[in-house]
Amino acid sequence: MTNTLHRQGDREGLKHDYVIFVHTAKGKNREGAAPKIREFMRICLKYHPVNLGDVKQGSIHQDDIEIDRLIAGQEDNTVAAAVFTDLSTLQKVVEELIRADLGICINITGLLDEVRECCRKAGITRHSAEHSLGIWGAKDRLPEREVMEFNTMCGHGMVSFNLIREMIERVRLRRMTPRQAALMMAKCCECGAFNPARAEALLSRMQECGFLRSAR
Amino acid sequence: MDIDKTKCVGCGNCHIICTMGVISLDKDGKSVVNQEECVECSTCYRVLRDEKYPPWFVRAIRKVLSVFNLGYLAAVDLCPTGALTPPELSWPRVLRAQFSNPTVVHPGTGVPGRGTDEIKSNDVTGRLRKGEAGVVVEIGRPGLGAFFRDIQKVAMALAPLEPAFEPENPVTHLIADKKTGRMKEEILDEKVLSAIIELKTEMEKIPAFLAALEKVQNEIDTVISVAIASRCLPDGTIPHEEWVRKAGYTLSPNGKTNLGLGRPLFREDEP
Repeated sequence: MTNTLHRQGDREGLKHDYVIFVHTAKGKNREGAAPKIREFMRICLKYHPVNLGDVKQGSIHQDDIEIDRLIAGQEDNTVAAAVFTDLSTLQKVVEELIRADLGICINITGLLDEVRECCRKAGITRHSAEHSLGIWGAKDRLPEREVMEFNTMCGHGMVSFNLIREMIERVRLRRMTPRQAALMMAKCCECGAFNPARAEALLSRMQECGFLRSAR
Repeated sequence: MDIDKTKCVGCGNCHIICTMGVISLDKDGKSVVNQEECVECSTCYRVLRDEKYPPWFVRAIRKVLSVFNLGYLAAVDLCPTGALTPPELSWPRVLRAQFSNPTVVHPGTGVPGRGTDEIKSNDVTGRLRKGEAGVVVEIGRPGLGAFFRDIQKVAMALAPLEPAFEPENPVTHLIADKKTGRMKEEILDEKVLSAIIELKTEMEKIPAFLAALEKVQNEIDTVISVAIASRCLPDGTIPHEEWVRKAGYTLSPNGKTNLGLGRPLFREDEP
């Protein structure tokens, strides 16, 4: 899943958007990884992520998801993720994960220079990195930039363009608050990579500066 | 996805949630799914709570309200009558769910989601070594979806460059001929939310791959999200940056970082 890589937005917005997630490799460190993935989740939970989830079971913003049961139900082959909105908290999470020495693969999606600095402060050198080169092809079929900022926060594509437009409209008409609309979008994201705090901030900014003013 | 017309009251909530925007109101006032365009992601079924109201009850309330020129604005996250019905899928349509529903574990990879590895476990697998670059091409994302006939066009544009298609990637399993990039004939009319072609090559061939993508992007009726990955140098710098810039492309300020905390770490001298 390239579910976190292509998040769009300006640098200021991306400064509040860090996804940390675990991955395991078949035949290497996947077998027996479940207790380590659960420990990863417990460590993340201590630092109050704005989203937390597991692609097989859902995220904390979905109906009927109880966090202890979610963690207890995690299996070897799942992909678990947590979202943080500031670098200093992320730094603490990374430091605790280093101390825990879980042996599973840990990745962060966010501003690459900031994450590199976070690694340096924690005393490690990043192992590998991946860049997005953006969207190519039939871009004329895509909606406005603002809609894309919401949509790309769920890389699995579960937050539809129509839902985003509907949520923007309901906020505009004051039928929903930015928080309610952001949580509705977060509910669609299965793996917990969607950042509802950033979505709320984007909607609040729209209330102040205008709705959907960008070009497609 | 199927909609049980005996239950549907045409509230339209599933139209909003549908990731492909392919549910609409039929002439009879009930929702209908465009089966050719539906990618079987089941988002509508998972997100919309089944309120279990009898359809006659919802229709009666609506009729009463309409007498007073009133409408009812339902919460967006419910299906009042539980009309959404996930179908049993058989080959090749089942591919739609495997590539579009992130909760489905792909039989070929054993993991849910699109099933790519990229750099996510590079610290333990050593999949991308010094001098190698990973090219990750996601077709259909964001938000448009892709038919395998378009995915095949991209695979066929890249195949002449002799990439090493990632063997554990679910799209690779569907490429019938790795030399030409031709995919299995019976899947070409299947649509998925997105599918990721994942390959590795030598660092110096990055510009050639980007040029091939530049050309094929005009031949497909959807979008592609492109990514490049590599193993960092001992000081933490990213070697592919130079090659991408040389080719004239802009790198995103954000991206993915593998922290290197996996165990056991691969050894460079291992095959």
